[in-house]
Amino acid sequence: MSWSDGFEERAESLRRLKEGANQAKYDIKRGWKIYRRSLLAVIGLLMVISISIVSIFADDIAVEHPGRNLQDTRDVWHIDYEPRKAAPFSEECDTRYQKVSLTTLRRWGENGTSALSPTRVADNNSFYQDTLVVTEFIELQDRYGVTLESDLVTLESSNNTYFWISDVLMDNNSLTQIKLIYKFENDAMHHWWLPDGYDVCIFGTNDEGQDLFSKILYGSRVSLTIGFTVATLTVIIGTVIGSISGYFGGRVDEVIMRITDIFFAVPGLILALAFVAALQAIDNFTLPLWFAFLLPLSGLCIYFRSSIYNTIMPGESSFAERKFGIRFTVVALLLAVLALGGPWKGLFEQTDTSEWRIFASLAGLMIVGGIFILDRRLMDNIPLDGVGRRALNSLDWRNPYRYLTFRTLVIFIASIALFTWSGNTNNEIVVIDNFDRLWKIQIALVFTGWPGYARLIRGQVLYVKEMTFVEAARSVGAPSGRIMFRHILPNAWAPLLVAFTLDIGGTILSASGLSFIGLGAEPGAAEWGKLVSDGRAHFPQDYWLVLFPGLAIAYTTLGFNLLGDGLRDVVDPKNRR
Amino acid sequence: MKTSEFIVRRFILLIPVMVGVTVFTFAIAQIIPADPAAILCGERCGLVDPVSGKTMLELQRERLGLNEPVIVQFRLYIENLLAGDWGESTTYNRPTSDVVRDAAPVTLEMALFALLMAYPIGITLGILSAVWQDQVFDHISRFLAIAFVSLPIFWLAMMLQLVFGTGPEVGGICDPIFGTDGGCFPIYGRHDSALTYPDRTSTLCDTINSGIACYPSWYPSGGTGFHLVDSWFVTDEALENIHPDYASNSKLFDDTLVHLILPSFTLGIASAGSLLRYMRASLLEVMNEDYVRTARAKGLSESRVIIVHACRNALVPILTILGFSIGGAIGGAVLTESIFAFYGMGNVAVDAIINLDYSVLMGVTLITAIIFLMSNLIVDILYGVVDPRVRLE
Repeated sequence: MSWSDGFEERAESLRRLKEGANQAKYDIKRGWKIYRRSLLAVIGLLMVISISIVSIFADDIAVEHPGRNLQDTRDVWHIDYEPRKAAPFSEECDTRYQKVSLTTLRRWGENGTSALSPTRVADNNSFYQDTLVVTEFIELQDRYGVTLESDLVTLESSNNTYFWISDVLMDNNSLTQIKLIYKFENDAMHHWWLPDGYDVCIFGTNDEGQDLFSKILYGSRVSLTIGFTVATLTVIIGTVIGSISGYFGGRVDEVIMRITDIFFAVPGLILALAFVAALQAIDNFTLPLWFAFLLPLSGLCIYFRSSIYNTIMPGESSFAERKFGIRFTVVALLLAVLALGGPWKGLFEQTDTSEWRIFASLAGLMIVGGIFILDRRLMDNIPLDGVGRRALNSLDWRNPYRYLTFRTLVIFIASIALFTWSGNTNNEIVVIDNFDRLWKIQIALVFTGWPGYARLIRGQVLYVKEMTFVEAARSVGAPSGRIMFRHILPNAWAPLLVAFTLDIGGTILSASGLSFIGLGAEPGAAEWGKLVSDGRAHFPQDYWLVLFPGLAIAYTTLGFNLLGDGLRDVVDPKNRR
Repeated sequence: MKTSEFIVRRFILLIPVMVGVTVFTFAIAQIIPADPAAILCGERCGLVDPVSGKTMLELQRERLGLNEPVIVQFRLYIENLLAGDWGESTTYNRPTSDVVRDAAPVTLEMALFALLMAYPIGITLGILSAVWQDQVFDHISRFLAIAFVSLPIFWLAMMLQLVFGTGPEVGGICDPIFGTDGGCFPIYGRHDSALTYPDRTSTLCDTINSGIACYPSWYPSGGTGFHLVDSWFVTDEALENIHPDYASNSKLFDDTLVHLILPSFTLGIASAGSLLRYMRASLLEVMNEDYVRTARAKGLSESRVIIVHACRNALVPILTILGFSIGGAIGGAVLTESIFAFYGMGNVAVDAIINLDYSVLMGVTLITAIIFLMSNLIVDILYGVVDPRVRLE
């Protein structure tokens, strides 16, 4: 194949790309025009942008790391820290007043020792310490709490991070433990936008003396991540299932809709609760485990393959095709029985041999891949010979229209995700390492959320399917996959976008609710729902521990809901010119 | 199609869904990593039965049918379900059906009362919002509708407790405004503490530590479980045994009602928000119909056109939301119950998950599904009655 081959095709595809880009530019302009008509929508957008900025720059805005625990600092002095709650902007916050005990007097220089702030751990696990400035020395006690002469310790006048400890104290072997009580103040931990002294008290501190403001800032990362992950996964699963249901209709549609009925019959939160409970034993989410979910699905596909085929092309199957199909089905069923009939429960334990898992994943891959190939072949009547040549053709890198597709994008993202996630735990491909409780609620929310999207997309597909351009595409022999992705879905995406945006808000709400009842984040984690539930122990006296994390949830959810509402106006056909 | 035929048809359509739900709950129970036999026999698992020579664990497994293949277990499960045996709760040491029967009315009462509060608010605001379309009131109420569904329900509950349930020293507003001692509403429990658990030695209270089975003994044991109803059927004999401050039917009713207001309001807020939106949209659609134009052309007053001609038709589609909002309210009740210390299905479900009590979890999932499907069925039938065109499909 030389360069000049297919020149017209390339020129044509470039022209179409440019046209598409222009159209998109125009659409965005028009959409923004409609969007900004609504004040609420603009406010919602600003709220979403602000919370995103906060979560990105949490490291810089926060006063301290949310997991700060003064008991295990790398301080030169052993700090015997007494946790203390403080109300927002209360007097107790204006300096850091701490009790310090010297179990071992470690010298820093000559009879002096310096104070370092609690270790702050950035998210990339790097440690950094600020030097605390001691502003006032208050008292010196021995280990029994008896006050000693305060002359024994003097504050270094030139550099007040240093204490000078007198020789009398150093030589006195009976004093194994001394308590120094003094005030800290530190410019390095002070933000310019905070009033003097109120560094850790903008939202108060919790019963462990941790700054609530910092915890809430870091909590935005957790919530937004959960919101986006769950909404994206739900959209993908719901779209695939919904479009299959709507496009093929008939018995497939009937079965899928009955399944969604079952999901709708149980309130989402209770369903999610049950599912989280079922996920309790899983530590790592591995590729074979994925196929444990895929195998039953593929079994269903095999069962309904014939009906799909009959829906598309009744009475056109040749004997050879049918024979192949039957043979393949038998093999696939055998594999499925081998995989399922054995240790179904074993799939969820970590005791199986890696060989077995690799076998299961291969079997799953074969079945899923085989079904796709077979169905395409049967439905589109494409002969299997020459598959390799066509595959090579599709890799023509000089034709941008070939690879600038949704499919390429999905494969690209999936491979990147697999690459970053994959590790080597007992010779397995780990999809999600450390499958902790936050992951479990995400999976549970995806599991409970997809039927909504499936119904939405099904309705859209049913509507678009009847339009003339789909018929035209079908009449020129376009394969069903192409009709689905090129002709139907692009015309059905608008309500999906709205639902996606609203779903992010809804997911943040449900995830924080699950965390609140103790199924989500670990205790003490910087997750909003967990913060509220931690604050419950001190409610209603220390109301701020509940008020501010809840406000953060409400703010974010409201932002996404307003945004979705504004988008609804934009994509509403009534606003089309 | 006749109404009866319509009802029967709808009922038959529910059967596959119900079967699906049982398959689903059974599958979840299979996956949950707990051995119910080991939990039930506890420390005695290792003991050997002298007659059969088997350990207690083996006997227990045999009794529960855990040695059978999965399919047989499923058949057993279905048979037991139909026979009314929902399994044995390992947390409460009682039959699951009893636990569920005690818990379901608590949640249902709260959810229904919540809808009772949400519907007037949502519908009124929705109508006003549609009438004053694109005016200031409309913008505010549309914002409220979105804000209502955005509030985390557990947080809202606690804030309401703070504002309406506490004294001024903490932040409550009731004391300075209404002059009540403390808050306007109690913030915990289904009844005043003088009424709850009057008899701690009762066998009904013999549970592990949560006291879930402990309902006040003054309620008729064969009652509905809805205390708003039951309080009127307490016999005079029973009244003599309870706290003198509450020794009359109306006082018992008042006590129940007062304890129900905050939780139900919390639960109803989200429903009110979505109702407002639907009502507004529905009414705006109806206002463009020909019969509204006709009514206006007849010279009817605007209020009569809206209330009599438009609203009545706009309310019909709202009926469909009723079924869904019951489901939503039951889901939300999981969170509200834990805050207001109501021992309904939500608390039972959470306890079941924490203790891996799989039969209770299955029971709760099943009963919520039944309630939800039944309410949808009723709504469907009502819809068919109100709008006969539906029956013709």
